[in-house]
Amino acid sequence: MIRTSLFKKITLCGILLCIYISHVCAQDADTRSTVTPKELADTLSSVNVYGRRPLATRQALHGKELQALSTTSIADALKYFAGVQIKDYGGLGGLKTVNVRSLGAQHVGIYIDGIRVTNAQNGTVDLGKFSLSTMETVELYNANKLDDCQSASEYASGATVYLRTRRPANDSLSAQLRMASFGTYMAKANMQFARKGWCGFVDIEGLTSAGDYPFRYKSEFEDTVGHRDNSDIKYGRIEGALFKGGFSSHIYYYYSERGCPGGIVRRLSDKYTNVGREWDGDFFTQMSYNWQAGNHRFKVNAKYTNEYLRYCTDYPENQNTAKVNNHYRQEDIYGAACYSWRPWHWIALSASYDIRYSELNADLKHFDTVHRTDQKQVAALQINWRGMQLAASLLHQHYKDYTQTHTGAADPLDRFTPAISLGYTVKSLTLRAWHKKIFRAPTLNDLYYTQAGNRNLKPEYTKQWNIGAEWHYSSPRWNASIQADGYINKIENRIVCLPLKGTYTWSMMNYGYTYCRGLNATGNVRHSIRDWNFSLLTSLTWQRDLDRTDPDGDIYNKPICYSPTLSYGITGIVAWRRLSLTVSDLHVSERMWSYADPEDVLKPYNNIDIKLSYLHTVAKKTDIGICLEVNDLLDEQYEHIPRYPMPGRNYKLTLSLSL
Amino acid sequence: MRKTIFTLILAVMANMSVAQEKIILLNEGNWQADNGRISYFENGTVMSNQWFRDMNGYKLGDTPNDIIQVNDNLIAIAINWSNIVQFITPEGRAVAATEDVPNNRKLATDGRYVYISSYGHECGTVDGMKEFTKGYVAKIDINTFKVVAATEVGYEPEGIAYYKGHLFVANTGGYAFQEDHEYETTVSILDAETMTLVRNVDTRQINLYGKMSQSGKYLCINSPGNYYDIQAAAIIFDCDKALQGNDACFVSLPYAATYNCTTRDGKFLAVGSRYSYYTGEYQFNYITIDPEEVMMSNGSSGVEQSLPGTVLEDIKKISMPYGIYVNPYTGYIYATDAGEFVSGGALYQWSPEGLLLGKHKVYINPAHFLALPPDGHFTGIEDVTSTEQEDGYMYDLHGRRIATPQRAHIYIKNGKKVLK
Repeated sequence: MIRTSLFKKITLCGILLCIYISHVCAQDADTRSTVTPKELADTLSSVNVYGRRPLATRQALHGKELQALSTTSIADALKYFAGVQIKDYGGLGGLKTVNVRSLGAQHVGIYIDGIRVTNAQNGTVDLGKFSLSTMETVELYNANKLDDCQSASEYASGATVYLRTRRPANDSLSAQLRMASFGTYMAKANMQFARKGWCGFVDIEGLTSAGDYPFRYKSEFEDTVGHRDNSDIKYGRIEGALFKGGFSSHIYYYYSERGCPGGIVRRLSDKYTNVGREWDGDFFTQMSYNWQAGNHRFKVNAKYTNEYLRYCTDYPENQNTAKVNNHYRQEDIYGAACYSWRPWHWIALSASYDIRYSELNADLKHFDTVHRTDQKQVAALQINWRGMQLAASLLHQHYKDYTQTHTGAADPLDRFTPAISLGYTVKSLTLRAWHKKIFRAPTLNDLYYTQAGNRNLKPEYTKQWNIGAEWHYSSPRWNASIQADGYINKIENRIVCLPLKGTYTWSMMNYGYTYCRGLNATGNVRHSIRDWNFSLLTSLTWQRDLDRTDPDGDIYNKPICYSPTLSYGITGIVAWRRLSLTVSDLHVSERMWSYADPEDVLKPYNNIDIKLSYLHTVAKKTDIGICLEVNDLLDEQYEHIPRYPMPGRNYKLTLSLSL
Repeated sequence: MRKTIFTLILAVMANMSVAQEKIILLNEGNWQADNGRISYFENGTVMSNQWFRDMNGYKLGDTPNDIIQVNDNLIAIAINWSNIVQFITPEGRAVAATEDVPNNRKLATDGRYVYISSYGHECGTVDGMKEFTKGYVAKIDINTFKVVAATEVGYEPEGIAYYKGHLFVANTGGYAFQEDHEYETTVSILDAETMTLVRNVDTRQINLYGKMSQSGKYLCINSPGNYYDIQAAAIIFDCDKALQGNDACFVSLPYAATYNCTTRDGKFLAVGSRYSYYTGEYQFNYITIDPEEVMMSNGSSGVEQSLPGTVLEDIKKISMPYGIYVNPYTGYIYATDAGEFVSGGALYQWSPEGLLLGKHKVYINPAHFLALPPDGHFTGIEDVTSTEQEDGYMYDLHGRRIATPQRAHIYIKNGKKVLK
């Protein structure tokens, strides 16, 4: 029976997954020998390659461990992964994007329950908009996740971040209140239920933060002390989800107003501030259904997105920039159908088709509505034979734009891209190798933005090669894993904004060829004894990114700017009954930001965070919790971008109540 | 003591006689990175790529945009994104700074006042804060370094020149594609003394943006067009005719003059390109303009597609031309290359005949030049001769003899500055 063998594999996988999964989740996996229909549906929604994941390079944070880390947004969680670099202009509401293995933020696909979060306008997703409180798992896959029934768009990004929504197992009501540095107040409420095979939740959150945090630049040439003005944020978020068996659905709305602070430059006084402000209104609703009939599996996805963005610099006190007040609205309709067939137990074949229709409107001068259709098809093959594993896929993408803008629509884009993974597992050791070629299509901004867009842009290609190994050990009390991957990435035809020669204008161009070599490693140990639980999570990235753009240029073969050679993270979690202490240290080495002067470097930094939480049961099924966090304990003044100081030491106090 | 002073004087004089080439170069740096820098170039050597900081112990600021000599003892620098007008001595020492003219752009002077164009809408004057709908020109008294008057001109005024008691201001309307107004096409003429608008001359070319050069009564103004339907143009403008009210006071040429400068014989050199967002293609031009002939022939002659010596061929090889300049005292020709924008730019030097003399590493986005007079007097060009003191000893800049020179310090040896 296919099903039985599948469940065995899943149980086995549960053990394998202990590599990353928290103690609690490992226990879940152990109990899967008696699978209920509900659990069956749960596992089906993320069925593995024969219950084995090692073929893909994967890092994950789960349930309790995710909550134990000092994290408020997805971006905070991702920074603990090897190979991840966060870009943040500072400010409490600063846009946070992730860059994986130096591919660039636009090559990182973010998927909520398998459906991609898109932004046709600029291609970047602000990770600050998604809450961790509704998430069960945050996973990062280099290249593909490799399920046997994946939609085509899941194959279409260089690196993939999967956010899996939590499926409630009981009825409960909970609330949280938080007070934090820089005038930050947050309130959150969650209502969840689980009955008759249905489960779901409603989650509401509101936050206001004044920002205006202090900074100091002290060097031989300056001692600048000030406040980061215009770094406030206010947001509200409401979302709900409903699940039953193979059906899942999600509805989400987020609204925010935030300041976009500028760089700290020499001023004689604080008389003038360079201000920009941004308003966002994001709505999406999505659903997915999958079912199995014999050795056939089916999945359908649908999503509607409506995003509003207003960017404004039209203030009397703003003397420097153009007085911009632009409104953008984009709508996006998406549908996908996936089918997989397993003729024998060792082989699965799948095919999927995705279609997305996007529309962008903006009140820019000389701009007209742009429509885009984006179709993708994939054919994939997965084989698992006596410990040998193979996954291969061929993806076809077709983009076509329609617009009445002056320059006209770009030519349609039509490309095939392959990916192949090989793995071999013997006992608890897995060796793997994979290659993936993929591109990112120019975004609508890249192509049509007034006085910068370039309709002649070519897609930006990435080619990745990876070899890796992972090993794990598991006993009732101990749990350990090590994973290491060496990789080579090439990025061709980078899409960047460059000044035009002999003019005073800038334009989007294909310029840049990067060659990266790197090593990602993670090592985790967990130990439990009586009421104690200990976890040690470590990650390390060593990377060398070289500019290979112009063989005659001065910077050929020099390291690219902003890329650290070394970064690591160490997190220790100690839990005793319901008291838990987490200490984490993230280190990022020196990064140069220009080639012009050896002085132009960003200093290395260590970011030490501490989180102490305690949960107390006051009555039957009633818990109260208290949690104190200190971020940047050493108060290191660091930057991701020169002259964009990040907040230093700050505190968070959270009270929670759940019924 | 006497001997020291004597040596000092001799050393300085010897130095002056040799240092015919003294160039201050503004590196704009990266926007919002607070890394605007000054390079100081003397006799074939870049003495420092952070000259302001060396001299003053602090940084210059963000995006310096223009530099002029006001008189023998004063130089003004417009530091755009820092909202600062910085005054320094020709030795590089900061004298005063004001932030009363935010979003400042370009400078002009009559030796007594500094006139500065601004894209901003506020100006702190001696009579209090003044507010403007469009852009304005401010008048700074160099005795007090205060703004004594400010007058509204067009949207985003850029190039500014002083001629016969009047200011000629090129208006761009450069934010037009983002703001709710059209591009400007006018040159505003102000009476410098009263700071009142005399008249606006409509050039019928939009967006008079970028470098503006002056050669006596002639101006060379660049119009980049809008990069879609309207092509770039170079405008030769006769200030005398404009003051007389003559409508035929300018001629438009079908070339781009993105980077331009004045030669010693009163011509303009210009490098630029005409770009179209439709085709994504450039049309480069490298030209020498004789303004007199252009005005006389109404544009049918007076433009040569050439630059002195090998300058044209050399500039063609530059990856990103970012400025061109002729030393008004010596005729040496300079151009800068912004390179790849994150790498340091380069300074090229040619002899007056156009023979390439050298390429020097400077800082990011080297753009704006000022030559210092060899004899210390910025008006008039004279060759100063004096006997050179060649004793082989090393002296510091205070004239003290140094036995053990330190690394990275400037010394004088045989009348020449040397860097250890």
